[in-house]
Amino acid sequence: MFTEWLKDASKIILFDGGMGSEIFKRGIEPGKLPDMLNIENPELIYEIHKTYYDVGADMCQSNTFGASFLNLQRYKIENQITEINARALENIRKARPPNRLIVGDIGPSGEFRPPVGKATSDQWVSSFEKQASVLEKGVDLWHIETMSDIEEMLAAIEAIRNLSKKPIISSMTYKKTKRGFFTIMGDSLEKCVRAQENAKVDVVGANCTLGSEEMVELVLELTNLTDKPISAKPNAGQPRIDNDKRAHYDQPVKDFVADIKRIIALGAKVVGGCCGTSPETIREIRKVIDSL
Amino acid sequence: MFFGDNKLVQEQFYKEISDAIVNLDKERAIELAKRAIIENMNLLEVIEKGYGDGIRRIGDLWEEGDFFLPELMLGGTIMQESMDILLPELKRSGENINLGTVVIATIEGDIHSIGKTIVGTMLSANGFEVYDLGADVPAEKIVNTAIEKNADVIGVSALLTTTMFGQKKIVDILEEKGIRSKFKVIIGGAPVTKSWTEECQADGFASSAVEAVKLVKKLLNK
Repeated sequence: MFTEWLKDASKIILFDGGMGSEIFKRGIEPGKLPDMLNIENPELIYEIHKTYYDVGADMCQSNTFGASFLNLQRYKIENQITEINARALENIRKARPPNRLIVGDIGPSGEFRPPVGKATSDQWVSSFEKQASVLEKGVDLWHIETMSDIEEMLAAIEAIRNLSKKPIISSMTYKKTKRGFFTIMGDSLEKCVRAQENAKVDVVGANCTLGSEEMVELVLELTNLTDKPISAKPNAGQPRIDNDKRAHYDQPVKDFVADIKRIIALGAKVVGGCCGTSPETIREIRKVIDSL
Repeated sequence: MFFGDNKLVQEQFYKEISDAIVNLDKERAIELAKRAIIENMNLLEVIEKGYGDGIRRIGDLWEEGDFFLPELMLGGTIMQESMDILLPELKRSGENINLGTVVIATIEGDIHSIGKTIVGTMLSANGFEVYDLGADVPAEKIVNTAIEKNADVIGVSALLTTTMFGQKKIVDILEEKGIRSKFKVIIGGAPVTKSWTEECQADGFASSAVEAVKLVKKLLNK
């Protein structure tokens, strides 16, 4: 179905919004791996997915951002990789209405390559394969996101391609510098786009780090760099930590949605939100898309 | 070459060190550290005006978007290796008065160690005894080490909005044990603000390694 959506020129695909901020909003203490909630509090994860589907998201992603082998290893719970990912699938399957899609979410391993860390491409590939092999049976497509290293992105793509034929959205995370958009590892937007094109992903995207306003600029550059469909999941501005110990995103929903409207006008095919966005944000974007 | 008191030649030497750090030229940085010892230079000045300056410039280049994580990390490693040559020599020569003891760590659940490592290095270079416990360290362990080492200052880094609550935990544990007044607690990391510092009831926060050194000196009246 996703491939048909991509071919349908009139279709703008609505992704979901933030997961972490929704979890904290429901009173869960920050500090633990949100992926564990798939097991410890499945009702809560189900409810968040369901809310996003209910407000009109075409597709939502599994709560598996941190459930790759290497990342779980950092929390010493890598032996639970199968259960965490399998339970994540159950939670989102229950929430998914007909004619909507389930996206398998793959986040960064948390391990960097030298000189920053010690990770190798082989370790990355093997780590993502272990996660993706569990998710493959239940997802319609993949979203590899928040990657700050194009090498790790390529490893994740390779891992998925080794065991799945389903479409891939690959979203890098960029910071804005005076010389343009770069990953924190120092790769330019153009270099990353070329690498993602060569890896034959289905949709080239960006998510997190940037607020919606900067994401508009980035999408404009993306449209000049590639003919691939584009996905954008910006943050709701920049976070502020309040006395209640929570990260707050103060950007008004209407400002975020206005930027998303511009992102769609520039030609993005898939839109949604990252940190600080909520079902309210997605509901408002739904209205915008439906009015187009 | 003998440097003597020739300020100009000294300044040139500091600049060469600083450039070696910015150019990420490890061999040159280490060679210059060895030469500074042979030439019997004021090593504190060498560290501050040479290596410290280089690492500050790397920090600026990062801010400007000219340098990225690999450069930041490499620069930190070269700095550390140069310090491994200079610091023992400083201690031997007795030039290094211990200004105080600092236990520093990145809090549990957080693996970001770069900023914390640079702060630790700069504190060592400025005459503090530093125990760097690394990253992902439980609050209890940080406090226990501080007690064991009779530390003056506890420095806790957190880069994630989800882990920064561990910084408050340090203060809470000290309060529970009735030893809060024995330590100055400083916090750092990208999400840390003045209001968070107050919320934690920490003694201060710094947004760069240079500021952290100033803060520790101020807190200990040095």
